[in-house]
Amino acid sequence: MTAGWSLVWDNAGRFAEGALLTVELTVVTMLLAIPGGLLLAFLRLSRWRLIRFAATAFVELFRSTPLILQIYWVYYVLPSFTDILLPGLAVALIGLVCNISSYNSETFRAGIVSIRRGQWNAGLALGMNSAQVMLKIVLPQAAMRVLPALASTWVSLFKDTALVSVIHVGDLAYVALKIRTETFVILPVLNAMAVGYWLMGYPQAKLVDWIHRRYKVAE
Amino acid sequence: MPDFSPILTRWQFLLSALSVTIYISLLSIAFGFLIGIVVGALRTYGGRVVDSVLGFYVDTMRSLPQLVVLVWTFFAFPLIVGFSMSSTTAGIIGLSAHLGAYVAETVRAGLTSVRRGQMQAALALGMSRLEAIHKIVLPQALIRMMPALGSLCTYAIKDSAIASVIAVPELLRQSQIVVGQTYRYQLVYTTLMIVYFLICYPVARGVDRLYRRVAHLGSS
Amino acid sequence: MNAPARVGADQPPILTFENVSKRYGGLQALSEVSCQVNRGEVVCMIGPSGSGKSTLLRCANALETLEGGRITFDGADVHAAGGDARKVRQRMGMVFQNFELFPHLTVLRNVTIGPTTVLKLDAATADARARALLAKVGLSDKAGQHPAALSGGQQQRVAIARALAMEPALMLFDEPTSALDPETIGEVLSVMKALADEGMTMVVVTHEMDFAKRVADWVVVFDQGRVIEQGPPKQIFEAATVQRTREFLSHLGWHGESIAEVAKSG
Repeated sequence: MTAGWSLVWDNAGRFAEGALLTVELTVVTMLLAIPGGLLLAFLRLSRWRLIRFAATAFVELFRSTPLILQIYWVYYVLPSFTDILLPGLAVALIGLVCNISSYNSETFRAGIVSIRRGQWNAGLALGMNSAQVMLKIVLPQAAMRVLPALASTWVSLFKDTALVSVIHVGDLAYVALKIRTETFVILPVLNAMAVGYWLMGYPQAKLVDWIHRRYKVAE
Repeated sequence: MPDFSPILTRWQFLLSALSVTIYISLLSIAFGFLIGIVVGALRTYGGRVVDSVLGFYVDTMRSLPQLVVLVWTFFAFPLIVGFSMSSTTAGIIGLSAHLGAYVAETVRAGLTSVRRGQMQAALALGMSRLEAIHKIVLPQALIRMMPALGSLCTYAIKDSAIASVIAVPELLRQSQIVVGQTYRYQLVYTTLMIVYFLICYPVARGVDRLYRRVAHLGSS
Repeated sequence: MNAPARVGADQPPILTFENVSKRYGGLQALSEVSCQVNRGEVVCMIGPSGSGKSTLLRCANALETLEGGRITFDGADVHAAGGDARKVRQRMGMVFQNFELFPHLTVLRNVTIGPTTVLKLDAATADARARALLAKVGLSDKAGQHPAALSGGQQQRVAIARALAMEPALMLFDEPTSALDPETIGEVLSVMKALADEGMTMVVVTHEMDFAKRVADWVVVFDQGRVIEQGPPKQIFEAATVQRTREFLSHLGWHGESIAEVAKSG
């Protein structure tokens, strides 16, 4: 089996590139999906029924369908609506951002709503307007509440990036599967792929556990 | 009005694909819950060594994408154990093993959220620890964890689509065959989005509804 | 003057505590606690919160372990290595401060689950026994409901029925009324008094001094993990020999009214 493992070492550079893209996708998606989630959360709490309905429909659609299908859908269907041919990476990013924003919007919405009404009233009683209360009193508290859920979503996202491989975006999974197809070497390559994700994912999972313990909500 | 004929003429093909999706979803939920309840209970009550060993399984599944688990189960696992398995079998095993870890975490949280007094009251009646866990603590924990377990069920249904990557003849894969034959990308993929939505959304809402009705049975 | 003999003194005690010690983390919860419970006796344990009374009770049925000393039940060491704690617990009934009814079961099932699961009784016998006990505590009409639908006092009465369904030789009550609204305390204490009148051996940790005065045959006073005084209610409440006991009782608003006076005031 050493022949197989030496192949893995020979291709270490490609594996590393794939892993790097996995990380980049995770980071960029989350950077976009946090404001995206906030936007959706506010739209869902809007005073106007139509806006609330549209935002809720968007969120429920992306939460009730498989991400892999969403990626295919954006890849194959979106270009015909917009006449733009996007590179695979952009498509993958759009799909991931829409999906993760939807999950984040739920997290934010629950966090905002969980801040007791009394906090609002206290702020308003001091003479602040709604925006000030939201910015200075509610959001800072909500931020601490949502951190554990966001951390869990982050790890989920990190794992979800593997799905972009199906539209040939060169993340770690894609690289590994491509090498396997090229060389017919199976076990070492797949093990390397698994180990690669494990090495990146395990510490993240442990970090999420720590965050959950540290930021436990005490009423 | 778009032309639905590519789908309608293949309705038997696609219906059987849908049944495969439902089949592997249900089986992976069944096995995943079984694994998860046993692992979660063992981690809570089994002592430190058991907790660490099973914790490794749980944390590993939390670190690996479902895609990786499925691919590895279908292609790599047979090479290690020496016998091959069908893609559907590999799919069910991979989905169950992955889901089981998340169920285990949920069950563990649920068991520790039940008041200590409940275990004490059960022991005070003379029950063994196993009886107390099985008849008193676990039922309450499962009720309390119903929302989380419900959302894991919808995850299982959505993740079944990933099995398309190892050629399990479920709905996504077979639909892609239809796309290959007809080039009707938009129609097929849009219809798929609607179909999955029509399956998952009611499941999620149904669990919510059910939970609201039985929540009082879990509060101690 | 000879003090009257304790209830049940003609037989060996059913429960003995010999120099029982226990630590809880950094705290010495129990230090050299010695006392005994005779058959047919009602023993009340009183004292400030945190003085170890509840801990002692949980050691009696092996829900907690000991660091030192011995507890015997019917002559046998409760904490003997290789002993069967479950057998001990079957013969002792315990009623908890927070009731601890099983919320996912109906009231009736709460009372039958002990007999069917532990005593392996058949469903019909267990059912009949449960219904009789629910009638005894005045809750026959609640048999099909779930605990969430009952008030605190009702839940505690069901908890008493649940413990009695095991036909225990001894009943342990851990502050049974501390978590109840004042209006419902009375209904639970009535059930407990009726039980005492029938001759049940009871150990009651309580803050209800009226109850202790009226119903107890023997009172044990705790403070900071030790027994500071024990004796018949008349001694403890009217002529306590230990200063700390008098301090504790006066702190509760008890100024040494005689037991006869309390009985008269209703």
